[in-house]
Amino acid sequence: MKKTTRLLFIFLILALSACAAQPSPQTPNSADSAPVLRSFPIRYAQHFTLEYGDGYKKLTVTQPWAGASEPMVYILVPRGSAAPANVANAQVLETPARSFVAMSTTYFPFLEKLGKLDALVAVDDATYTYNPQVREKVSSGAVAQVGGGAGGGSVNVEKLLELQPDLIMTSASGSPELDAHPKLLEAGLPVVINADYLEQSPLGRAEWGIFIAAFFDMEEQAARDFDALVRRYEAAKALTEGLSDRVTVFTNTDYQGTWYVPGGESYAALLLKDAGARYVFESQPGYGAAPLAFEAVFDAARDADFWLNVGFASDLDSLLTMDARYAEFKAFARGSVYNYNARVTETGGSDYFESGVANPDIILKDLIRIFYPELLPEHTLYYYQKLN
Amino acid sequence: MKARPDKTTTIRGPAARGWVIALFAIILAAAFVVSLSLGSVSIPLKDIIGILLGKPALKESWTTIILNFRLTKALTALLAGAALSVAGLQMQTMFRNPLADPFILGINSGASLGVALAVLAIGTTGSILMAGISTAGDLGLAIAASIGAGLVLGLILLVGRQVRNPTTLLILGLMFGYAASAVTSLLIYFSLPERIQAYTVWSYGSFSGVTWSQLRVMAPVILVGLAVTIFLPKPLNALLLGEEYARSMGVDVRWTRVFILLSASVLAGTVTAFCGPIGFIGVAVPHLCRNLLHSANHKSLLPAAALLGGALALLADAIAQLPGSQFVLPINVVTSLFGAPFVVWVIIKQRKGRTSFSV
Repeated sequence: MKKTTRLLFIFLILALSACAAQPSPQTPNSADSAPVLRSFPIRYAQHFTLEYGDGYKKLTVTQPWAGASEPMVYILVPRGSAAPANVANAQVLETPARSFVAMSTTYFPFLEKLGKLDALVAVDDATYTYNPQVREKVSSGAVAQVGGGAGGGSVNVEKLLELQPDLIMTSASGSPELDAHPKLLEAGLPVVINADYLEQSPLGRAEWGIFIAAFFDMEEQAARDFDALVRRYEAAKALTEGLSDRVTVFTNTDYQGTWYVPGGESYAALLLKDAGARYVFESQPGYGAAPLAFEAVFDAARDADFWLNVGFASDLDSLLTMDARYAEFKAFARGSVYNYNARVTETGGSDYFESGVANPDIILKDLIRIFYPELLPEHTLYYYQKLN
Repeated sequence: MKARPDKTTTIRGPAARGWVIALFAIILAAAFVVSLSLGSVSIPLKDIIGILLGKPALKESWTTIILNFRLTKALTALLAGAALSVAGLQMQTMFRNPLADPFILGINSGASLGVALAVLAIGTTGSILMAGISTAGDLGLAIAASIGAGLVLGLILLVGRQVRNPTTLLILGLMFGYAASAVTSLLIYFSLPERIQAYTVWSYGSFSGVTWSQLRVMAPVILVGLAVTIFLPKPLNALLLGEEYARSMGVDVRWTRVFILLSASVLAGTVTAFCGPIGFIGVAVPHLCRNLLHSANHKSLLPAAALLGGALALLADAIAQLPGSQFVLPINVVTSLFGAPFVVWVIIKQRKGRTSFSV
């Protein structure tokens, strides 16, 4: 019985999305009068779409979490206007959002670029926040902490009900015990799932800025920013394309004999590839991290030129005290060890994981500067630092 | 192969028990060789022997892999397996409880709390203690775990001298464990995901994280802990028959108990400090020994547990390395997944209604 209703529901969604996918010759200005949907160009991100309908915007998160069977649909209407018909399976939100709750630090750089950090009224937990403005707002009490982010813990529903934000943005894992959104939806709060972390392409992840901007009716501006970012990224990438002699790189550290090695299609591996390096484990399938034996990594990466992303280590000595065998790597002996912790707070907030999502061009330039300093002599390292 | 009745009777003689223990020693030696020769990187046995004899290998990295990775790992597994099995045997006898393991008194939870404090709280607390631990280098985690385990041990010894009933002691140990676990959970709750990963990986247990400089500390402590058990067979045999009986035999029960607690806890605590919580071996090996030796005499049980424990830890680790593939499995997965059916088989085959605790 339950199964049939669910099947019917899926069928309904499919039928609706089939209708929605009708191509349309309409221009953006006439979107208000057009009965069919026109899609906003999304070039790299794989997990969301933005379309315009008659007096509303339709944002679809095609994969809200890994393995999700159904998309999440959000209908955005101008404040005060009625929701369109036939959107029973979607959440309706009014735009532009006047107040925003961020359950992940990765939304801050996008808000900042849009000049919308003032709309921020609450975050999950500011302990690991890098953005100085946000930290300032939290310590002054202008921004509340409500828990329930990816770090775990339960969300303070009462506080959120009191704040009555226009929008709560969060990520989801798909298991109701861990996620905050089912409880928030139950309380009638406007919660939106952001799945940026599922994107493996660095540009795709940055394109989620358009998703956030849509709630402020600023997607055109965000798209222009993104186009400029793509041009900067591609220009940097082009520098390394003619190289015949490529450096070899490996990443991460050992944990008690197990070395988690990111797959060849992962975010980290794609950045290394675009920076003109040969990732030692580029043939490791997929994007998840595989638990390899320390000796397997040692065998493959002993002679590699560079060693990157070494966890918490901020100098070579502290790396060596974790495991004396690290000294056997050639990259260690040459002093070619770099970590992404140039910008961290005392409490452990890391800007690489925060604004890095919005600035893949800067990460790429950091990497190129590390691997081939002569290609970018002017660039100074931003997220990365050399370990001494 | 079915156990024949005549074999069962011959094995009861002390001489036969000596032969079984010698057999365990041979199994241990074989397991050591297997552990050295299997791994993610395939290295021919001929080269391994050459490397151990100090000859240059075909590939330079092989020398490092054998000497700095596999040899340390094999020695660690051997020592850890022996220590946990002997500690488990002592605990099972003292509490006369077949389900007792080396960690029954919360030593494990104490060690976990120490590590959780060191791994998860660095950065959020500026305390001198934590700063000291993080600068202690590769002994940092071990020191943190030892402090945690030592704290719980101290509490138990303190209470152990006051409390007469071992069951009360058992319950108190459980309570200490719960309290320590609660604090650990609280730390995890407020921590960075990457740090939680570091803690989680530690809690999986591993023999491969131990380096030579750590072995230099771990090996002497365990060897001393094992050596002092030479004095224990008699009191342990007496305790097996109950405290009243032991007392009537002239055993100072209170001090014996403190001595056993100290020895077992130092053994279990040291292993946990360096390798993380390693389950199963400490509870299973004593049972295996009792069943294979058909004896409850600790004079043969203690050396048998040390040898068989070391051998099983080595074999479990060899399986965990998934020879031929690049992947590794957590050691606790292997000990439980492969070890449990094996122990069930041995016990069902050999037990025939006898309880392990009858003499």
